[in-house]
Amino acid sequence: MKQILILFFVIVITSCKEDEGTPSGPVDDTFNPATATLIKSGTLVGVGHTVSGTAAIYEGGGKKTVLLDPYSSQNGPDLKVYLSKDEKASSYISLGKLKSIEGKQSYEIPNNPDVTDYKFVLVWCEQFTVIFGKAELK
Amino acid sequence: MLRKLVFLFVLSLFISSSFAQQQSHASNSIELGLAFGGSQGTLTGAYIHNWRLGRKQKFEIGLGGRLTTYVGANQYYSTAPAKLTSGSTGPGVFFKENITANMDTFLIARPQVLAINAMINFGYLITPKFYVGFNIDVIGFSLGQEKSGNYINGSQGQNTTGKPTPFNLLLVSDNDLGTLNSEFYGRYKVNEKLSIKTGFQFLFTEYTTSTEVQQFPEPNDRFRNKSGLFTIGVSLTLK
Repeated sequence: MKQILILFFVIVITSCKEDEGTPSGPVDDTFNPATATLIKSGTLVGVGHTVSGTAAIYEGGGKKTVLLDPYSSQNGPDLKVYLSKDEKASSYISLGKLKSIEGKQSYEIPNNPDVTDYKFVLVWCEQFTVIFGKAELK
Repeated sequence: MLRKLVFLFVLSLFISSSFAQQQSHASNSIELGLAFGGSQGTLTGAYIHNWRLGRKQKFEIGLGGRLTTYVGANQYYSTAPAKLTSGSTGPGVFFKENITANMDTFLIARPQVLAINAMINFGYLITPKFYVGFNIDVIGFSLGQEKSGNYINGSQGQNTTGKPTPFNLLLVSDNDLGTLNSEFYGRYKVNEKLSIKTGFQFLFTEYTTSTEVQQFPEPNDRFRNKSGLFTIGVSLTLK
Protein backbone atom coordinates (compact mmCIF):
# COMPACT_ATOMS: atom_id res chain seq x y z
CA MET A 1 0.00 0.00 0.00
CA LYS A 2 2.86 2.34 0.87
CA GLN A 3 4.40 1.83 -2.56
CA ILE A 4 1.06 2.64 -4.23
CA LEU A 5 0.76 5.87 -2.24
CA ILE A 6 4.31 6.91 -3.14
CA LEU A 7 3.67 6.14 -6.81
CA PHE A 8 0.44 8.10 -6.70
CA PHE A 9 2.02 11.26 -5.29
CA VAL A 10 4.98 11.01 -7.67
CA ILE A 11 2.60 10.84 -10.64
CA VAL A 12 0.53 13.80 -9.43
CA ILE A 13 3.55 15.93 -8.66
CA THR A 14 5.39 15.13 -11.87
CA SER A 15 2.28 15.84 -13.92
CA CYS A 16 2.23 19.45 -12.61
CA LYS A 17 2.45 22.02 -15.40
CA GLU A 18 4.09 24.94 -13.67
CA ASP A 19 3.80 28.30 -15.34
CA GLU A 20 7.07 29.29 -16.93
CA GLY A 21 8.94 32.10 -15.19
CA THR A 22 8.44 35.81 -15.78
CA PRO A 23 10.56 37.32 -18.60
CA SER A 24 13.94 38.36 -17.28
CA GLY A 25 15.07 40.82 -19.97
CA PRO A 26 14.92 44.48 -18.84
CA VAL A 27 11.88 46.48 -19.98
CA ASP A 28 11.61 50.24 -20.43
CA ASP A 29 7.97 51.31 -20.86
CA THR A 30 7.30 54.68 -22.48
CA PHE A 31 5.01 56.04 -19.75
CA ASN A 32 6.19 59.57 -18.89
CA PRO A 33 5.39 60.57 -15.27
CA ALA A 34 5.99 64.23 -16.12
CA THR A 35 2.71 64.22 -18.10
CA ALA A 36 0.62 62.92 -15.16
CA THR A 37 -0.15 63.74 -11.54
CA LEU A 38 1.37 61.64 -8.77
CA ILE A 39 -1.35 60.37 -6.42
CA LYS A 40 0.73 58.24 -4.04
CA SER A 41 3.87 56.15 -3.99
CA GLY A 42 5.89 53.73 -1.87
CA THR A 43 9.02 51.62 -1.70
CA LEU A 44 8.90 48.02 -2.86
CA VAL A 45 10.26 45.46 -0.43
CA GLY A 46 10.48 41.71 -0.70
CA VAL A 47 8.39 39.34 1.43
CA GLY A 48 10.34 36.11 1.66
CA HIS A 49 11.76 36.94 -1.76
CA THR A 50 14.06 39.55 -3.27
CA VAL A 51 12.12 42.56 -4.58
CA SER A 52 13.21 46.20 -4.73
CA GLY A 53 12.18 49.44 -6.39
CA THR A 54 9.46 52.07 -6.24
CA ALA A 55 5.74 51.83 -6.99
CA ALA A 56 3.53 54.82 -7.68
CA ILE A 57 0.04 55.65 -8.92
CA TYR A 58 -0.29 58.44 -11.48
CA GLU A 59 -3.42 60.02 -12.94
CA GLY A 60 -3.60 61.67 -16.31
CA GLY A 61 -5.65 61.68 -19.49
CA GLY A 62 -8.70 60.26 -17.68
CA LYS A 63 -6.94 57.14 -16.52
CA LYS A 64 -4.82 55.93 -13.66
CA THR A 65 -1.54 54.05 -14.00
CA VAL A 66 0.70 52.11 -11.64
CA LEU A 67 4.35 52.70 -12.44
CA LEU A 68 7.12 50.43 -11.17
CA ASP A 69 10.34 52.40 -11.69
CA PRO A 70 12.86 51.21 -10.93
CA TYR A 71 11.92 47.56 -10.47
CA SER A 72 13.99 44.49 -9.78
CA SER A 73 13.12 41.08 -8.32
CA GLN A 74 14.00 37.44 -8.38
CA ASN A 75 12.07 35.28 -10.80
CA GLY A 76 9.05 33.11 -10.04
CA PRO A 77 6.10 31.44 -11.68
CA ASP A 78 2.86 33.27 -12.53
CA LEU A 79 3.85 36.62 -11.01
CA LYS A 80 1.06 39.22 -11.11
CA VAL A 81 0.82 42.87 -10.10
CA TYR A 82 -2.07 43.65 -7.75
CA LEU A 83 -3.38 46.97 -6.47
CA SER A 84 -4.74 45.87 -3.11
CA LYS A 85 -6.60 47.25 -0.12
CA ASP A 86 -4.30 45.32 2.23
CA GLU A 87 -1.12 43.27 2.08
CA LYS A 88 -3.06 39.96 2.21
CA ALA A 89 -4.77 40.73 -1.10
CA SER A 90 -8.14 40.20 0.55
CA SER A 91 -9.55 42.67 -1.98
CA TYR A 92 -7.54 43.66 -5.02
CA ILE A 93 -7.51 44.74 -8.64
CA SER A 94 -5.30 42.61 -10.86
CA LEU A 95 -3.15 44.70 -13.20
CA GLY A 96 -1.97 41.64 -15.09
CA LYS A 97 1.21 39.66 -15.38
CA LEU A 98 4.47 41.19 -14.25
CA LYS A 99 6.11 42.22 -17.53
CA SER A 100 9.66 41.55 -16.43
CA ILE A 101 11.75 41.07 -13.33
CA GLU A 102 13.87 44.06 -14.35
CA GLY A 103 13.17 47.61 -15.51
CA LYS A 104 10.60 50.41 -15.73
CA GLN A 105 7.07 49.12 -16.28
CA SER A 106 3.62 50.71 -16.30
CA TYR A 107 0.20 49.14 -15.72
CA GLU A 108 -3.07 50.90 -16.50
CA ILE A 109 -5.68 50.39 -13.75
CA PRO A 110 -8.84 49.04 -15.44
CA ASN A 111 -12.11 51.03 -15.20
CA ASN A 112 -10.39 54.07 -13.63
CA PRO A 113 -11.56 53.28 -10.04
CA ASP A 114 -11.34 55.45 -6.93
CA VAL A 115 -8.00 54.29 -5.48
CA THR A 116 -8.34 55.91 -2.07
CA ASP A 117 -8.80 52.55 -0.31
CA TYR A 118 -6.10 50.76 -2.31
CA LYS A 119 -3.03 51.18 -0.16
CA PHE A 120 -0.68 48.51 -1.48
CA VAL A 121 0.95 47.43 -4.71
CA LEU A 122 1.71 43.72 -4.46
CA VAL A 123 3.82 41.40 -6.57
CA TRP A 124 1.95 38.15 -6.14
CA CYS A 125 2.53 34.58 -7.26
CA GLU A 126 -1.03 33.69 -8.23
CA GLN A 127 -0.37 30.04 -8.97
CA PHE A 128 0.79 29.35 -5.43
CA THR A 129 -1.11 32.12 -3.61
CA VAL A 130 2.13 33.61 -2.28
CA ILE A 131 3.19 37.25 -1.88
CA PHE A 132 6.56 38.12 -3.43
CA GLY A 133 6.82 41.81 -2.62
CA LYS A 134 4.84 44.83 -1.52
CA ALA A 135 4.86 48.61 -1.51
CA GLU A 136 2.74 50.57 0.93
CA LEU A 137 1.49 53.64 -0.92
CA LYS A 138 1.37 57.01 0.88
CA MET B 1 -21.54 15.57 -25.35
CA LEU B 2 -20.04 13.30 -22.69
CA ARG B 3 -23.01 13.82 -20.42
CA LYS B 4 -25.38 12.78 -23.20
CA LEU B 5 -23.37 9.63 -23.87
CA VAL B 6 -23.37 8.77 -20.16
CA PHE B 7 -27.10 9.33 -19.99
CA LEU B 8 -27.83 7.17 -23.06
CA PHE B 9 -25.51 4.40 -21.84
CA VAL B 10 -27.08 4.25 -18.41
CA LEU B 11 -30.58 4.43 -19.84
CA SER B 12 -29.94 1.61 -22.29
CA LEU B 13 -28.50 -0.63 -19.59
CA PHE B 14 -31.39 0.13 -17.28
CA ILE B 15 -34.01 -0.62 -19.92
CA SER B 16 -32.23 -3.77 -21.04
CA SER B 17 -31.96 -5.01 -17.50
CA SER B 18 -35.55 -4.21 -16.67
CA PHE B 19 -36.82 -6.36 -19.49
CA ALA B 20 -34.45 -9.20 -18.85
CA GLN B 21 -35.34 -12.30 -16.93
CA GLN B 22 -35.69 -11.73 -13.23
CA GLN B 23 -33.51 -14.65 -12.15
CA SER B 24 -30.35 -13.12 -10.74
CA HIS B 25 -27.02 -14.04 -9.20
CA ALA B 26 -25.17 -11.76 -6.90
CA SER B 27 -21.49 -11.13 -6.31
CA ASN B 28 -19.45 -8.91 -4.04
CA SER B 29 -16.20 -7.23 -4.95
CA ILE B 30 -13.75 -4.67 -3.70
CA GLU B 31 -11.90 -2.35 -6.03
CA LEU B 32 -8.80 -0.21 -5.65
CA GLY B 33 -8.02 2.43 -8.24
CA LEU B 34 -5.60 5.17 -9.13
CA ALA B 35 -6.44 8.04 -11.48
CA PHE B 36 -4.38 10.96 -12.67
CA GLY B 37 -4.11 13.77 -15.22
CA GLY B 38 -3.73 17.56 -15.37
CA SER B 39 -1.86 18.06 -12.09
CA GLN B 40 -4.43 16.13 -10.10
CA GLY B 41 -5.20 12.60 -9.10
CA THR B 42 -7.33 10.30 -7.00
CA LEU B 43 -6.98 7.12 -5.00
CA THR B 44 -10.23 5.19 -4.73
CA GLY B 45 -11.47 2.20 -2.81
CA ALA B 46 -14.90 0.70 -3.33
CA TYR B 47 -17.12 -2.14 -2.19
CA ILE B 48 -19.80 -3.23 -4.67
CA HIS B 49 -22.65 -5.73 -4.53
CA ASN B 50 -23.72 -6.63 -8.06
CA TRP B 51 -26.76 -8.52 -9.31
CA ARG B 52 -26.50 -10.34 -12.62
CA LEU B 53 -29.60 -10.07 -14.73
CA GLY B 54 -30.97 -11.43 -17.96
CA ARG B 55 -31.32 -14.79 -19.62
CA LYS B 56 -27.59 -15.00 -20.28
CA GLN B 57 -26.62 -13.26 -17.04
CA LYS B 58 -24.65 -10.64 -18.92
CA PHE B 59 -26.09 -7.48 -17.40
CA GLU B 60 -25.17 -6.25 -13.95
CA ILE B 61 -26.63 -3.67 -11.65
CA GLY B 62 -24.86 -2.95 -8.40
CA LEU B 63 -24.88 -0.87 -5.27
CA GLY B 64 -21.88 -0.01 -3.18
CA GLY B 65 -19.78 2.54 -1.40
CA ARG B 66 -16.72 4.39 -2.60
CA LEU B 67 -14.02 6.37 -0.87
CA THR B 68 -12.30 8.92 -3.12
CA THR B 69 -9.16 10.74 -2.02
CA TYR B 70 -8.45 13.66 -4.30
CA VAL B 71 -5.34 15.85 -4.46
CA GLY B 72 -4.51 18.55 -6.96
CA ALA B 73 -2.14 21.39 -7.67
CA ASN B 74 -3.23 24.89 -8.74
CA GLN B 75 -6.78 23.97 -9.67
CA TYR B 76 -9.40 26.42 -10.91
CA TYR B 77 -12.88 26.00 -9.43
CA SER B 78 -15.79 27.64 -11.28
CA THR B 79 -19.15 28.92 -10.09
CA ALA B 80 -21.18 25.82 -9.21
CA PRO B 81 -24.94 26.41 -8.75
CA ALA B 82 -27.03 25.59 -11.81
CA LYS B 83 -29.10 28.70 -11.23
CA LEU B 84 -26.00 30.75 -12.05
CA THR B 85 -24.27 28.51 -14.58
CA SER B 86 -27.41 27.79 -16.63
CA GLY B 87 -29.96 30.35 -15.47
CA SER B 88 -32.38 27.66 -14.22
CA THR B 89 -32.51 24.57 -12.03
CA GLY B 90 -34.86 22.21 -13.90
CA PRO B 91 -33.88 19.03 -15.76
CA GLY B 92 -33.24 21.19 -18.84
CA VAL B 93 -29.91 22.38 -17.38
CA PHE B 94 -28.50 19.10 -18.70
CA PHE B 95 -28.62 20.52 -22.21
CA LYS B 96 -27.79 24.16 -21.49
CA GLU B 97 -24.51 25.91 -22.11
CA ASN B 98 -22.86 27.88 -19.29
CA ILE B 99 -23.64 31.57 -18.99
CA THR B 100 -20.09 32.91 -19.25
CA ALA B 101 -20.91 36.26 -17.63
CA ASN B 102 -21.99 34.47 -14.43
CA MET B 103 -18.91 32.26 -14.16
CA ASP B 104 -16.27 33.32 -11.63
CA THR B 105 -13.23 31.41 -10.44
CA PHE B 106 -11.73 30.24 -7.17
CA LEU B 107 -8.08 29.17 -7.58
CA ILE B 108 -6.78 26.74 -4.95
CA ALA B 109 -3.07 25.95 -4.81
CA ARG B 110 -3.38 22.58 -3.04
CA PRO B 111 -6.95 21.23 -3.01
CA GLN B 112 -7.50 18.00 -1.06
CA VAL B 113 -10.84 16.28 -0.63
CA LEU B 114 -11.87 13.00 0.95
CA ALA B 115 -15.32 11.89 -0.23
CA ILE B 116 -17.34 8.90 0.98
CA ASN B 117 -20.33 8.17 -1.23
CA ALA B 118 -22.89 5.51 -1.99
CA MET B 119 -22.62 4.52 -5.64
CA ILE B 120 -24.45 2.58 -8.32
CA ASN B 121 -22.86 0.39 -10.97
CA PHE B 122 -24.05 -0.77 -14.38
CA GLY B 123 -22.17 -3.27 -16.49
CA TYR B 124 -22.21 -5.75 -19.32
CA LEU B 125 -20.21 -8.94 -19.74
CA ILE B 126 -19.00 -8.86 -23.34
CA THR B 127 -17.06 -12.11 -23.09
CA PRO B 128 -16.47 -14.42 -20.10
CA LYS B 129 -13.31 -12.43 -19.38
CA PHE B 130 -14.11 -8.89 -20.56
CA TYR B 131 -16.62 -6.58 -18.95
CA VAL B 132 -17.50 -2.92 -19.53
CA GLY B 133 -19.24 -0.74 -17.03
CA PHE B 134 -20.20 2.63 -15.69
CA ASN B 135 -20.51 3.68 -12.07
CA ILE B 136 -21.47 6.92 -10.40
CA ASP B 137 -21.65 8.30 -6.87
CA VAL B 138 -25.12 9.20 -5.66
CA ILE B 139 -25.02 10.53 -2.12
CA GLY B 140 -22.51 10.98 0.67
CA PHE B 141 -20.28 13.45 2.41
CA SER B 142 -16.89 15.10 2.02
CA LEU B 143 -14.11 16.06 4.37
CA GLY B 144 -11.06 18.27 3.98
CA GLN B 145 -9.02 21.03 5.54
CA GLU B 146 -9.75 24.68 5.01
CA LYS B 147 -7.57 25.95 2.17
CA SER B 148 -6.61 29.45 1.15
CA GLY B 149 -7.48 30.38 -2.39
CA ASN B 150 -7.86 33.25 -4.79
CA TYR B 151 -11.33 34.33 -5.90
CA ILE B 152 -11.03 35.89 -9.35
CA ASN B 153 -13.73 37.95 -11.06
CA GLY B 154 -12.17 39.54 -14.12
CA SER B 155 -9.61 42.05 -12.87
CA GLN B 156 -11.11 42.04 -9.36
CA GLY B 157 -10.05 39.49 -6.78
CA GLN B 158 -10.00 38.43 -3.16
CA ASN B 159 -7.83 36.03 -1.27
CA THR B 160 -10.06 33.98 0.95
CA THR B 161 -10.49 30.43 2.28
CA GLY B 162 -12.73 27.52 1.43
CA LYS B 163 -13.56 23.98 2.57
CA PRO B 164 -14.92 21.00 0.66
CA THR B 165 -18.72 21.21 0.46
CA PRO B 166 -19.76 18.72 3.18
CA PHE B 167 -22.82 17.12 1.58
CA ASN B 168 -22.75 15.30 -1.77
CA LEU B 169 -25.83 14.56 -3.86
CA LEU B 170 -26.26 13.50 -7.47
CA LEU B 171 -29.03 15.47 -9.17
CA VAL B 172 -28.99 16.68 -12.76
CA SER B 173 -25.90 18.30 -14.26
CA ASP B 174 -24.88 21.48 -12.39
CA ASN B 175 -27.64 20.90 -9.82
CA ASP B 176 -25.26 18.33 -8.29
CA LEU B 177 -23.89 19.07 -4.85
CA GLY B 178 -20.42 18.37 -3.52
CA THR B 179 -17.84 15.82 -4.62
CA LEU B 180 -19.06 13.03 -6.90
CA ASN B 181 -17.02 10.49 -8.80
CA SER B 182 -17.92 8.40 -11.84
CA GLU B 183 -16.12 5.99 -14.15
CA PHE B 184 -16.42 4.43 -17.59
CA TYR B 185 -14.28 1.35 -17.48
CA GLY B 186 -13.29 -1.93 -19.02
CA ARG B 187 -12.35 -4.88 -16.80
CA TYR B 188 -10.36 -7.98 -17.69
CA LYS B 189 -10.67 -11.13 -15.59
CA VAL B 190 -7.22 -12.49 -14.81
CA ASN B 191 -8.53 -15.40 -12.72
CA GLU B 192 -11.61 -16.29 -10.67
CA LYS B 193 -10.73 -13.75 -7.98
CA LEU B 194 -8.72 -11.02 -9.64
CA SER B 195 -9.56 -8.59 -12.44
CA ILE B 196 -7.72 -5.53 -13.73
CA LYS B 197 -9.57 -2.46 -14.89
CA THR B 198 -8.85 0.73 -16.78
CA GLY B 199 -10.92 3.59 -18.05
CA PHE B 200 -11.95 7.20 -17.72
CA GLN B 201 -12.83 8.84 -14.43
CA PHE B 202 -15.00 11.96 -14.39
CA LEU B 203 -14.85 13.70 -11.03
CA PHE B 204 -16.63 16.73 -9.60
CA THR B 205 -14.99 18.30 -6.55
CA GLU B 206 -16.58 21.27 -4.85
CA TYR B 207 -15.41 23.92 -2.38
CA THR B 208 -17.52 26.32 -0.36
CA THR B 209 -15.82 29.62 0.41
CA SER B 210 -15.90 31.10 3.91
CA THR B 211 -17.99 34.04 2.67
CA GLU B 212 -20.16 34.61 -0.38
CA VAL B 213 -17.35 36.07 -2.43
CA GLN B 214 -19.33 36.11 -5.67
CA GLN B 215 -21.96 38.84 -5.70
CA PHE B 216 -23.12 38.97 -9.33
CA PRO B 217 -25.76 38.08 -10.44
CA GLU B 218 -26.46 36.91 -6.89
CA PRO B 219 -24.41 35.92 -3.83
CA ASN B 220 -22.60 32.57 -4.17
CA ASP B 221 -20.07 30.60 -2.19
CA ARG B 222 -19.94 27.27 -4.12
CA PHE B 223 -17.27 26.51 -6.73
CA ARG B 224 -16.79 23.29 -8.69
CA ASN B 225 -13.88 21.65 -10.48
CA LYS B 226 -14.58 19.05 -13.18
CA SER B 227 -11.74 16.63 -13.79
CA GLY B 228 -11.28 14.04 -16.52
CA LEU B 229 -8.73 11.47 -15.38
CA PHE B 230 -7.21 8.27 -16.71
CA THR B 231 -7.79 5.45 -14.25
CA ILE B 232 -6.29 2.02 -13.58
CA GLY B 233 -7.13 -0.42 -10.84
CA VAL B 234 -7.78 -3.91 -9.61
CA SER B 235 -10.97 -5.67 -8.60
CA LEU B 236 -11.13 -8.59 -6.18
CA THR B 237 -14.22 -10.79 -6.27
CA LEU B 238 -15.24 -11.90 -2.78
CA LYS B 239 -18.04 -14.28 -3.70
